[in-house]
Amino acid sequence: MTAYILRRILYLIPTFFGATFLAFLIIQLAPGDYLTQLELDPKVTPETIARLRAQFGLDRPIYEQYLLWMNNLLHLNLGYSFAYQAPVLEVIWPRVVNSMVIVIPSTLLLYLVAIPIGVYGAVRQYSLGDRILSFLAYVGLSVPSFFLALIAIYLLLQIKFRTGTLIFPVSGMTSSGFEQLPPLRQYLDIAWHAVVPVLVATANDIAGLSRLMRGQMLEVLGQDYIRTARAKGLAERVVLYKHAFRNAVIPFVATLGGLLPGLISGAGFVEVVMAWPGITPFFLDAIANQDLYVIAGFLTVSLVLLMIGNLISDLLLAWVDPRIRYE
Amino acid sequence: MRKAFWLAAALALAGVASAQTFVWPQKWTVAKPSEVKRGGTLRASVISDYRTFNPFITAEAGNVPSIISPYGLVRRDPSTGDWIPYMAESFSVSANKLEITFKIRRGMKWSDGRPITADDWITTWRIHTDKAVGSNSYDSFFIDGKPITLQKIDDYTLRFSYPKPDATAFAVAGFVPWPAHIFGPVYQREGAEGIKKMWTLNEDPNKIVSAGPWLIESYRPGERLVLKRNPAFGEWNKDEAGNPLPYLDRYEIKIVKDTNAQLAEFLAGNIDLLAPSTVDHISQVRQAIQQGRLDATIRVNASPVASSQFMVFNWNKASDPFKQSLFRSEKFRRAMSHVVNRQAVVDIVYGGLGTPMYTSVYPVLTQWINPRVPKYEYNLQEAAKLLAELGFTKKDREGYLVDNRGRRLEFNLATNAGNAQREQMAKLIVDEAKKVGVKVNFSAIDFNTLVGQLLSSGADRPFDAIIIGLSGGDLDWPFGSNVVPCKGNLHMWNKSGQCLDPRETQLDALYSRGRTELDFQKRREIGFQMQQIEAQLLPVIYIAGPNYHPAWNNRLGGEHPEALISAIWGQRQLELTFIKK
Repeated sequence: MTAYILRRILYLIPTFFGATFLAFLIIQLAPGDYLTQLELDPKVTPETIARLRAQFGLDRPIYEQYLLWMNNLLHLNLGYSFAYQAPVLEVIWPRVVNSMVIVIPSTLLLYLVAIPIGVYGAVRQYSLGDRILSFLAYVGLSVPSFFLALIAIYLLLQIKFRTGTLIFPVSGMTSSGFEQLPPLRQYLDIAWHAVVPVLVATANDIAGLSRLMRGQMLEVLGQDYIRTARAKGLAERVVLYKHAFRNAVIPFVATLGGLLPGLISGAGFVEVVMAWPGITPFFLDAIANQDLYVIAGFLTVSLVLLMIGNLISDLLLAWVDPRIRYE
Repeated sequence: MRKAFWLAAALALAGVASAQTFVWPQKWTVAKPSEVKRGGTLRASVISDYRTFNPFITAEAGNVPSIISPYGLVRRDPSTGDWIPYMAESFSVSANKLEITFKIRRGMKWSDGRPITADDWITTWRIHTDKAVGSNSYDSFFIDGKPITLQKIDDYTLRFSYPKPDATAFAVAGFVPWPAHIFGPVYQREGAEGIKKMWTLNEDPNKIVSAGPWLIESYRPGERLVLKRNPAFGEWNKDEAGNPLPYLDRYEIKIVKDTNAQLAEFLAGNIDLLAPSTVDHISQVRQAIQQGRLDATIRVNASPVASSQFMVFNWNKASDPFKQSLFRSEKFRRAMSHVVNRQAVVDIVYGGLGTPMYTSVYPVLTQWINPRVPKYEYNLQEAAKLLAELGFTKKDREGYLVDNRGRRLEFNLATNAGNAQREQMAKLIVDEAKKVGVKVNFSAIDFNTLVGQLLSSGADRPFDAIIIGLSGGDLDWPFGSNVVPCKGNLHMWNKSGQCLDPRETQLDALYSRGRTELDFQKRREIGFQMQQIEAQLLPVIYIAGPNYHPAWNNRLGGEHPEALISAIWGQRQLELTFIKK
């Protein structure tokens, strides 16, 4: 097992260099650079732009920029943001933490809700409950989350217009005057702001995951060993949870690897629409501005987490599924 | 002992009293000092997050340093547009117009209690003009490459020396000072690199020193900037009744990245200020007000905004002599101006809330607009007639004009993808041009590619026509230093590096003359003359620009009188704003 892990880590090295170089190249292939937007400013002279370009190292060949960046990376330095004039990690970390306030509860909620729904749908296939849940799942799958967020804002406003109270805030992570609150109230305030974004972020994923769970469960329930278990006279509960569920859930273990980078990559457009100070709006800004090292640095962190995550889920897979052995 | 204490206190009081005050005129606000209440929080929002607190490396509009301390030695009086002494108590201009000497107001203090003196300006200027710092203000301290220099005469006297007379002299002299006792030692010890590391967003807010109305209380990345009143500012900034300013205790700026979310916050009463830009948002605000769901005020079409949208033809197409001669032809450009239906653009693109444009001067700069310039309005017959004069009289099978050698009248038009308003303008032009038999191939391309094409130089440039806009003008001399001169980087129609049309040469000369003319009336005459030439030459075909529609929650008082509300002066002076309830 140790040999296997070591081998896997060795394989990761070329993957790492390949993926980072590709990412770096693709960012650079986009026309223009961080300073292009400055060129349309009637007050800035071309000499100034050329000087800044040299200061940022953007006038050097791409491979040279990549090697310099790689050298920094090996010293655990993700680079420098042009826009913020500050180290990348320093500017992205607070956003990542803010995003986690949505991502972690939303992920937990997702598994807590989607798996029971999927199991229910499989066990009571074509029942009224299954049909209603399937219908809702299809709605959830087809409505993009940013639109769901807009609908949520609209509803909150309508309620406010009718009753005069805002049951949940329409945007942001904290209330005005947050700094003056005692610590406990501060946590409650953030939780109050997080409710709607968490629900919106989860809604789409629930639909997908519960359909997947339902399909897996149905497949397993059709297997011979389930019939055997039932023929043995085992209680239906035992058949379902000890024999069927355990096997149906194995493919999900393989997807756990994706959760690790997912943890830092934000909750998506909900953050933009509901003005949540997470990583998504920040990263979109960086892309729009071509803030090279912010994009490249963030992609690198995601990449490393994805590689670690995949390794962990492969090991977990071997642990839960006795048929899998690594030599 | 006690006596000595009282004496000291009395002396200190006398010191405060002798601080020369700047009195904020009554005519800048609708509120009388007697109805004003002190305290409270103003809540605003901003679309993009802040990037630094450092005044020397900040680059974006509406940055934090410019909020906490907006003004310098002189500032503009919004009721007249004139420069008035602000941190200076007076100024005098030398006979040869090359030197301005400022007497700095005594008794002003930084928020940390240190006096504000000439050294602060000198240090600020030194750091701005250090190339290695990369300050955005660097270029403003030079005229045609020659530096403007500052000289400290004594602690409270400063002299600015200009390489030549300059209409924008006060705009340069009005730069905002930053504390020499904070930046000076670091600059001496570590140079530009030291300066760049200072006052990042992670800096302890208590260490940010300001001369202006606000201090930073707290900042939460991507979320909110909270500013608090700077008491040192109130010692020398008073209203006409002698009350210290600002009236507000706090000024909160929420970072809301989406305009729909900003609107929602305004409708919910969570933010006090809004400047909606689309018809839909404006009507939602109006509806909420009319139905009594929101106690707010909106001023629709308060003024045009200081930005332009235009179509520019490429004069440098050596590889395609047919198109090049076409684009260089005044008749062709005039015909294209007749094709642009500006009223339709205002109605369709801006929902009726825009202003047509004919010259490079933004319509909001009313003083500068020459009302007598020729306007080549929407007129398809006239366009067809001009094109016929160019030899395009026959139409081919598809209905497009061709000349006697069978060459079709056709060009490519591009704008940046994602800018819905410009894309709509382009489509309107395509439709109208088709009616007179001109084939326009429209494509929306990536912004940076577009800018690359537009700013490329030489005899052969890779585009036909582009729709784009500019913003950011100057009230003293509203013509672009990069745009008008033939060698200018934004001389977008002709970047061969030399003037091709004699009128370009004339504009170039008039630009320089205007910039060195200090008498406003004479300068305005030159400006009028330039617009006259622009309107005939049509180097770019101006289309239209959106309007400014400020809105505020009625818990705020102290907005500008009606006549002062515009895209240039805004809806209010925050220093004179107060919370009514």
